[in-house]
Amino acid sequence: MEINISINVNEAIRYMGYREQPPAPQMEMIESCRRELVKAITPAWVYRAFDIEECDDGIKLAGTKLIFKGEDIRRHLSGCRRCILLCATASSKADELIRRKEAEDITLGYMTDCLASAAVEAVCDEAEKEIYEKLTGCWFTWRFSPGYGDFPLDIQPMIIETLNAQKRAGVACTDSLLLTPRKSVTAVIGVSDEPIEKGRRGCAICKMAGRCEFRKRGIHCGS
Amino acid sequence: MDLKKLLNEKEFIFLDGGMGTMLQAAGLAAGENPELLNLTHPEQIEEINLKYIEAGADIFYCNTFGGNRLKLAATGKSVDEIIGAAVEIAQRAKARASRTAYCALDIGPTGQLLEPNGSMKFEEAYDVFKEMVLAGKDADVIVIETMTDLLEAKAALLAAKENSDLPVLVTMTFEENMRTFTGCGVESMTMTLGGLGADAIGINCSLGPRELQPVVEQVCAHTNLPVIIKPNAGLPDPITNEYNVLPEEFSELLADMIPLGIKIIGGCCGTTPDYIRATAEKFSGRKCEAKYKELGAGVCSASRAVPINCPRIIGERINPTGKKRFKQALAEHDLDYICNQAIEQISAGAEILDVNVGLPGIDEKEMMVSAVKAIQGICDTPLQIDSSIPEVLDAALRVYCGKPIVNSVNGEEKSLNSVLPLVKKYGTAVVGLCLDENGIPKTVEGRLKIAEKICRRADEYGIPRSDICIDCLVLTCSAEQEAAMQTLQAVKLVKEKLGVKTVLGVSNISFGLPSREIVNRTFLTMALMQGLDLPIMNPNIDSMTSAVRAYRLLANIDKNAAEFIENYGAEQAPVPKAAAADMTLGYAMAHGLKRDAAEITEKLLETTDAMEIVNNILIPELDKTGNEFEKGKIFLPQLILTAGTAQACFEVIKQKLSQSGEKEASKGTIVICTVKGDIHDIGKNIVKVLLENYGYDVIDLGKDVDPELVAETAVKHNVKLVGLSALMTTTLKGMEDTIKLLRERHECKIMVGGAVLTPEYAEMIGADYYAKDAKRSCDIAKEVFGK
Repeated sequence: MEINISINVNEAIRYMGYREQPPAPQMEMIESCRRELVKAITPAWVYRAFDIEECDDGIKLAGTKLIFKGEDIRRHLSGCRRCILLCATASSKADELIRRKEAEDITLGYMTDCLASAAVEAVCDEAEKEIYEKLTGCWFTWRFSPGYGDFPLDIQPMIIETLNAQKRAGVACTDSLLLTPRKSVTAVIGVSDEPIEKGRRGCAICKMAGRCEFRKRGIHCGS
Repeated sequence: MDLKKLLNEKEFIFLDGGMGTMLQAAGLAAGENPELLNLTHPEQIEEINLKYIEAGADIFYCNTFGGNRLKLAATGKSVDEIIGAAVEIAQRAKARASRTAYCALDIGPTGQLLEPNGSMKFEEAYDVFKEMVLAGKDADVIVIETMTDLLEAKAALLAAKENSDLPVLVTMTFEENMRTFTGCGVESMTMTLGGLGADAIGINCSLGPRELQPVVEQVCAHTNLPVIIKPNAGLPDPITNEYNVLPEEFSELLADMIPLGIKIIGGCCGTTPDYIRATAEKFSGRKCEAKYKELGAGVCSASRAVPINCPRIIGERINPTGKKRFKQALAEHDLDYICNQAIEQISAGAEILDVNVGLPGIDEKEMMVSAVKAIQGICDTPLQIDSSIPEVLDAALRVYCGKPIVNSVNGEEKSLNSVLPLVKKYGTAVVGLCLDENGIPKTVEGRLKIAEKICRRADEYGIPRSDICIDCLVLTCSAEQEAAMQTLQAVKLVKEKLGVKTVLGVSNISFGLPSREIVNRTFLTMALMQGLDLPIMNPNIDSMTSAVRAYRLLANIDKNAAEFIENYGAEQAPVPKAAAADMTLGYAMAHGLKRDAAEITEKLLETTDAMEIVNNILIPELDKTGNEFEKGKIFLPQLILTAGTAQACFEVIKQKLSQSGEKEASKGTIVICTVKGDIHDIGKNIVKVLLENYGYDVIDLGKDVDPELVAETAVKHNVKLVGLSALMTTTLKGMEDTIKLLRERHECKIMVGGAVLTPEYAEMIGADYYAKDAKRSCDIAKEVFGK
């Protein structure tokens, strides 16, 4: 599957810490990193739809051992009778390029790292497009990931296993619950047959709330 | 089991189909540990094994795919219990079956990614696999499958070969782009696994037979080993999880691949006994069409195969001989410097990199392993492992991901006996030097004789001629002028007579002469005409690299001059302009003009003392940038840019100082790392650059660092300041543990930083300082060291 992704460069620039448009020479550096990154990476994703039901411990995914715990994920999936479990990655080639760029020039390494973070979001966007096409007539929530709000991160290994994500997308989870390759995410998307409010990733549930550099500047980390 | 016999007796060997598929049909929940069923529901597993045998599987897989200690950790069951039970079940199924079949110990990936993409070390992966191999000793054959990382496949294969005599089948998992998820290419797989002694290789999982057909074609074209194909039942529907190819179509698509040369056939995810039965029936009466083919010489990394079918440039710069700055880098364990040398040579045109890190007084084995790991982590250029010590070669060959060249063996008995077994075991290419106990023969015939001896001995080990690269040895022309032509004639002769590849360390020719570049280039061109395949040279000198490229053009190798035009055609890359005469170092730094800054520094050094440049220009400029960053006038990338530029200036100064034997005055030593469990290191790396700019010696322990190592290093170097970085909430624990241990062992200040940290948290876990950014870490260092 050849996947063309379009990285939101403005988002990457925000990740880099710029609070205004970078000067032209730096824009050129960013652009050259972006081109190289898009060429190098082999994005991949895997997703599956599961019926969900509320149980005493949380939300249970049918046919799996997964139970989602926490108030925030419950709210996220309210009104949905199914959810999509998604794992997407910019691939180990992104990590490799970041390492190489860093060895070559730390600034280019840093820029590539931030661009790769934006790239994962772009990969998720592509995956979502495909999901929307597959499930026409449905309504979807935004992407909610382990670690947001009170949705515990320790569900990560089980999500990876359930999706068979190592086989299907090359993504694994370390003992300390980090996804590898580094530029990878998992997310839960609620699916409803009725119109629901899509909502967006908000600051209210974010662990960084209160000390977020973006918020201090009156902006958000997401686009 | 006698796999060879089975291969001879049967036109095709059939494997089983999906295990997970059958288990899920029987009610196993997705994500549940399927190997536990060996203990809880052995009868279910036995039934599945039996069904596959009856359907036609000659080899069926025990239910041990994920039966490794990492995946079993949460179950409380041991590898011995789980695998032992699986093999017993399989033996029972065999006994009950109406036809003969063999059971395979099935080894899947560990579930963790290996370094550098993950945090698992090669050695750890090897141990995990070794434990499985030992637990499965009663199986008839070993299967290693669904591998996406060539290095992990290698760890498993070595574990199998070194701890068992059973035949080993290896399959990897490819995507439609003809690569695995980690970027491993088909040729890299065939070269590497074939060289390491797999008994059959091929592909499994990921896609259906239709999509995998082009991959199978490539595998068959690049190996003489029996080829395995075990595809999925097409592609799964993400909503229903059902596969889209039915048994009849599956078997037809597989039968269509018979002309490609496949020999061992089965099914993976989504396939059931019906698929195997249909396939066995479809193949009945057909003949295997695998043919022997000449494979040609070549080397590879995981994602790049370099066939040695024309002259290829081996970069010689990763070598301390005669380079003071390189020696200093080795003494300081400065892997960044070595990686930089790699990148520079690759962008100049190197196609293979020689790696030599031998230096008296350092642990060459450890250094070589670190260097190989670091270099293969940042580039895909195949390596030539250069050492005269067999233990160093052995250690490096283990962790190398791909098929390298060993540099070198020679005609001495001791060398032949110690190096050739390694070459055979790891399936590498090897440089054979035309010298022996009596030195370098003066005559062409004398060198041919040694080359013959090396070849003969390699033959005895079963090392193919295509993997032997004879070095007829270049002598210094200024000392022995008649020797140059002798060498060149020998190149031609050994190539013709022995059918080997040839290699020469070209630059040796001109030692002691003026205008070395002209001599080197001319000699290189002469050697290429004699049939030199692998010049070991400095690719950074354009006239050398361009000579090879021009040769490839003129010899009609570079078809349509494509490569030549790509490098020299169209617009000439603008020659970097010399820094404007009035440009100041400050300006160059503020604007991130690395090359200009380095050039200005070089000029300044002619008239100004190095420390004066540091103290009066570089540091004030860094301070200025730091202040602007603090005030929000510039942003992090600009701070890094200036720091990176300063780094280039310091490199020039270092070079100068190491030439004159002086040493920079250090303001103090700081140990930094990303803590245990965390693999995010860019923030830490930025801090490192800044601290070094300010004149501190930084011992960078890397990422995912054990608290023990941090404490040990802090004690050993008696450091006053330790910097710890963590990016994730889950890894703050690693930070806390490290601080605790440090407090027990050593009196020092500790600064911490990372995205999720807060000043309050830093205090709570017992850190002395919270560094909110890289700039702050420099201020802290100033405070601690008082300068």
